Amino acid sequence: MNDDLLVDPEELREQVRGKYRDVALAPHGEHHFHTGRPLTVRLGYDQTVVEALPDKAVESFAGVGNPFSLRTLARGEKIVDIGSGAGFDSFIAAGQVTSTGRVVGIDMTEEMLTKSRQTVHDLGLTNVEFLEGLAESIPVADGWADAVISNGVINLCADKRAVFLEIHRVLRPGGTLQFADIANGLPVPPDALRDIDLWTG
Amino acid sequence: MLEDSGFVDVQIGSAVDTFGGAIGEEKARSFDVYGYAFLARKPG
Repeated sequence: MNDDLLVDPEELREQVRGKYRDVALAPHGEHHFHTGRPLTVRLGYDQTVVEALPDKAVESFAGVGNPFSLRTLARGEKIVDIGSGAGFDSFIAAGQVTSTGRVVGIDMTEEMLTKSRQTVHDLGLTNVEFLEGLAESIPVADGWADAVISNGVINLCADKRAVFLEIHRVLRPGGTLQFADIANGLPVPPDALRDIDLWTG
Repeated sequence: MLEDSGFVDVQIGSAVDTFGGAIGEEKARSFDVYGYAFLARKPG
């Protein structure tokens, strides 16, 4: 483990996997954050677009903001979605880039990948795929992406600098990073920063 | 950190009350936690 990190990355990943496994399997269960269609309303997503998506694509959505609020993706763009979960933002992205674009979702939780791939099959999409991977080692070639999106994921990574450098690697020159995440306005005590339970709960 | 990682033209959107009414609201309020959209560009 890098001594500069506040928590062990693999231990944190295991806790995050456990949390989001629950969100995949029991999206309407008791979670400390909002999920699903009500959350998409709270975060300002275009409901005419959301309503067209099947429940399986929306019910496990657990984002913290709207990565499309500052920029709409362009037709034909190639997109990487880091921490794609059950695929909600990937499917929104697919609608924006249209059939001439391509979307690759990356996630580390098997139950989320199973769910997102089932939706790809159900919708008959040929330009969206979901791959197992980590934010710190994205299984995409250098400079492949026109844009990288993410939603509520980078704050759950122990080594954020490594994540941003990896995103920089997969973006083409001139490409955009557009993501949503949480930020705190008040300082968090040093002991709390090292409490791995607080990272996920 | 975005600029340290080589990104430019960083923009930050308005705060969103991500946790309002959720179980985690109290903890979020204690550290003034909100959701934000971020936009940045790789030079080139």
